[in-house]
Amino acid sequence: MKVIMVCSGGMSSAIVVKAIKAEAAKQDFELDMIAVGSGAVEEELKDGDYKLLLVAPQVKHQFGTFEKYANENDVPIEKVEPMGYTPIGAPKTLELIKKYR
Amino acid sequence: MTNFLNWLETKFMPPLAKLSEQKHLKAIRDGVISTLSLIIIGCFFLVIGNPPIASWAEAIAPYAAQIAIPFRITTGLMSLYAAYGMGYSLSKSYKLDGVTGGVLSLATFLMLTVPVNVDASLPEGEAIGWVLPMGNLGGSGMFSAILAMIFAVEVLRLFKQKNLMIKMPEQVPDSVARSFEALIPGTFVIVFVWIIRILLGFDINQILINIFTPLNNILGNNLIGVLLPVVLITMLWAAGVHGVSVIGSIVRPMWLVMLEANGQAMVSGTPSNELPYIAPEQFYQWLVWIGGSGATLSLCILLLFTKSAYLKQVGRFSIIPSIFNINEPLIFGTPIVMNPILAIPFVVAPSVTTTISYFAVKFGVINGFSVNAPWTLPAPIGAFLSAGNDWKAAALVLINMTIAGLIYYPFVKVYDKKMVEEEHSEMEDKKNMQVDTAAV
Repeated sequence: MKVIMVCSGGMSSAIVVKAIKAEAAKQDFELDMIAVGSGAVEEELKDGDYKLLLVAPQVKHQFGTFEKYANENDVPIEKVEPMGYTPIGAPKTLELIKKYR
Repeated sequence: MTNFLNWLETKFMPPLAKLSEQKHLKAIRDGVISTLSLIIIGCFFLVIGNPPIASWAEAIAPYAAQIAIPFRITTGLMSLYAAYGMGYSLSKSYKLDGVTGGVLSLATFLMLTVPVNVDASLPEGEAIGWVLPMGNLGGSGMFSAILAMIFAVEVLRLFKQKNLMIKMPEQVPDSVARSFEALIPGTFVIVFVWIIRILLGFDINQILINIFTPLNNILGNNLIGVLLPVVLITMLWAAGVHGVSVIGSIVRPMWLVMLEANGQAMVSGTPSNELPYIAPEQFYQWLVWIGGSGATLSLCILLLFTKSAYLKQVGRFSIIPSIFNINEPLIFGTPIVMNPILAIPFVVAPSVTTTISYFAVKFGVINGFSVNAPWTLPAPIGAFLSAGNDWKAAALVLINMTIAGLIYYPFVKVYDKKMVEEEHSEMEDKKNMQVDTAAV
């Protein structure tokens, strides 16, 4: 399953993505996930067949913009809740991802 | 406090967030960001050209001018790159051709600079013809570049809307057709700027500098102005929004103007502790945002020693990213967002260290900031490089960290106690449940 996560610069989400991937591996869930900054998400969505776009909490004010990009590419979009945006929150966020399997 | 946090979320954040999403501001942000790697590279040569040891400085003095050239071509011409980048970005957001918009913005910006012929002042046989004075192509040209970009791309858009374009037949390749599409709006833009700048002799660049210099002085050299971004950024973060990305997109052009002014002053021999501006972005990056917005490295260290199992764990997974100034996992994990206890030191601690640092730079105790070092460096190293190789700046980082830690300490204590109680009651609940089930 291909998932993309967007934050401001793609740095902090990389940390979260790493934790989510580790959790997915633990649960034997096949997950191909990348993290991008808000400037790159529009182009990236066009390229891959993503099954879900996750929005990091610190860029929730840009949700409307991301939603537009997501709709253009028929990708469902979800906000990551604050406590899910940490290494300990990874299992929770993975549950969210699994809903779109 | 909870009311205040609600007010932040519902009243304070939305208008600012909306502002940062505004098309022109977004184009400015993206265009300016596209020049940052060049600025970092150029600043690297500023570091080499101004070594911290006197004997080295003497040894390289004869080559100083050559060493400074990459700085002059990158940072010294930043508005040139930004004009293209911003034009590209704005055109893209209007679904126009990005390259066309970028090139047209660049040309419009250059039209504001009058080329001069310097042959008369050169020895015979060394004629070099026409040259562009570089003075306004660096940071001081940033506002002209912004204005030129908005004008050029808006004209492009307007002409496209009104269909005032040369249409090529279908068979013509796209890239050729595109260059013809820009002919009419491009001509209009160039002629218009030509009339203003050359025929009427309006020096738009100078007018903009005159308008923005007082603003720069407030934001760069006045304590209230220097504190303002700190308070706004931390308050936005307390509402859960990336404060720097919002406030930065509005203020960054001015921060860059300050950085370049400081760099140029340094290259031309101004002592490093007498640079024109106290607070370009690097001032905050290295002296205030130690560990990320809110000076959270100190908080992270405190978390390592908490009694709550949860907080300790947050401290452990955040400490490495925090050293490299990435603190989102900490901000959302602790959490600081919408947390009435921790939001207070989160705003207060950086405000205090900003004030201390402001006076340290103002009175020349530490060097001013002239170098844009990558923001993921650990703070003492970043501060050392960014303040023109000043070990005292690195020492101030440690002092500020201690002060921030002292401010966070009582709040962490209270929060830790609360968390421990919650953890205990959870354990009690579990135990009780086990007892219950055993009883059944």
